[in-house]
Amino acid sequence: METSRDDFIIAIRSAFLKKENKQRFSLLGLILFSVIFLILGNFNFKAIDYLKTGIKEIVYRSSFIVSTPENFIRNSFFTVNEHFNHYEDYLKLKNELDDLKSKDLSRTIINLENIKLKKLIDDYFITSNEIFAKVLIDKQSPFLRSVVLNKGSKNNIKLGMAVLDGIHLVGKVVEVNYLTSRVLLLSDINAKIPVSLEPGDIQAIMSGTGKQNGILQYTKNDNLEKKTGEKLVYTSGAGGLFKSGIPIGKINEEKILANNEKIVDFYIDFSQLKYVKVISFSKEKSFIEESVEEEIKSLNIQIAEMKMAKETIKVLLEEKKITKETRIKIEAENISLKNKIINLQNTALIAKKIIKKNETRRKELEFLELNILHGRKCKKTIFNKLYTVGSQEYKACILRKGLKKN
Amino acid sequence: MTRFSNYNFKQYLSSYIPIILLFISVLNEFDFNYLGIKYFSFNFSYILIFYYSLKKSKSFGYGLIFIAGLFNDVVVSMPLGISSLIYLLICGFAAYLRNITLRPSLIKDWIFFLITISVANSLLYTILVFNFSFKIDYFYFVANTIFTFLLYFGFSYVFYFYENEIIGTSND
Repeated sequence: METSRDDFIIAIRSAFLKKENKQRFSLLGLILFSVIFLILGNFNFKAIDYLKTGIKEIVYRSSFIVSTPENFIRNSFFTVNEHFNHYEDYLKLKNELDDLKSKDLSRTIINLENIKLKKLIDDYFITSNEIFAKVLIDKQSPFLRSVVLNKGSKNNIKLGMAVLDGIHLVGKVVEVNYLTSRVLLLSDINAKIPVSLEPGDIQAIMSGTGKQNGILQYTKNDNLEKKTGEKLVYTSGAGGLFKSGIPIGKINEEKILANNEKIVDFYIDFSQLKYVKVISFSKEKSFIEESVEEEIKSLNIQIAEMKMAKETIKVLLEEKKITKETRIKIEAENISLKNKIINLQNTALIAKKIIKKNETRRKELEFLELNILHGRKCKKTIFNKLYTVGSQEYKACILRKGLKKN
Repeated sequence: MTRFSNYNFKQYLSSYIPIILLFISVLNEFDFNYLGIKYFSFNFSYILIFYYSLKKSKSFGYGLIFIAGLFNDVVVSMPLGISSLIYLLICGFAAYLRNITLRPSLIKDWIFFLITISVANSLLYTILVFNFSFKIDYFYFVANTIFTFLLYFGFSYVFYFYENEIIGTSND
């Protein structure tokens, strides 16, 4: 018994204390060194932080290079998978596209209304800083679901910034180095995001599970069960870190956990992240002030224009009044003048008739005078063969003052 | 002469391959997570460290394992020093087994590997959860341990084949 205990002690001593031929350090010494690292790290010892930062800068880049062959294999695997599912995906996407096209118009209108209403309650967040980054390392350890990006504090990445893939939320920045940064994914067990469920606007906290989905916590299941149909999960905007309405996933109605907690299926497959968008949201005061100022300016201009228009209308109304009066006067004058013209025309007609009558009389008188004077030169008698009194020839003869002289 | 120098070169290369593999595995963390098999993951570093510490202890410098541990901590964002501690602990267990073994047997190694990684992962879990307030999915962790244990058997054959058939060296 004692011999076996001695053997055990000798073996342990040999394993941990004895420095073998090619070993520069003893195992126990290095174990102690690791423990010291851990303890100092736990107390946030600065030298450890500097060492960690230094290692990070080297390791993240090296890891990206070392991962290239595996990434190639992985991408090939996904490519082959995608090729197999190509036709099914095509049909599915075609149907979805038709649906989405019909929904798009109403969505745009609702979006505009939403922006308008949010502006009214001063809850309109805008993207103030937007950085595109490449995923350097996306190795999902059993302990932490995170990815490392190739942008760091040099590129204005800050702690807590939201990370999106397209329009969908992926996670938030939890560690910023000079050239790299780490993103805690929503699937991580330590990730807690305030969310709201639509329809119903039910508030909850979503936590990761360490897998490709999340669970809903701190929500009233009564509220949840009242609503039927597909439930979508969005950020609620509570806490001010994320703006509200960023899509996250939808509730899986088929899977319910033992303690009645609901499972959230994410829209994004976190193992497929390649490029992401790192953004921060803020209520940009200058933007709001500028818009208000612009609105005031435009309103002032509108008011001034309205006043001018009013004055012009007043003047025009006066002018119209005068013009109307003038027109009435002119119309009256016109009528009287018309009457006068008619009267004058009648008078002229009468005068014309009188003149004509007088002319006829004058001609008759002239004829009679000439008849008296020259009647005998034209009058047919027994002794001559002239013209009969009253005939045209006689008349013409009288007017010629006698016969024609050859 | 050429044959001799070729043999030396092979020996020289074979002595560095495991440590290169270890660094690649900690930097790359290849665990086939992307296959999407539920709970499937394994720790290749554990298998590699245990096998080579047991069979070819001259291939692995403890200092390099310590550095590999630091790299792993940075890659998976764990407290600095914890992976080094676990890796060195596995080395210690392997060295102990080597010292007490007279007639090597794969089954015995395999069972001892289960004990080793169980102790190592328990320590890791305890430190992370109780000291650093990490939230860890326990089942995932256990599954990782089981798969690592199961795959050791296969990998040990691969390493044996590589060492004996390709490089042509014998175990310690």
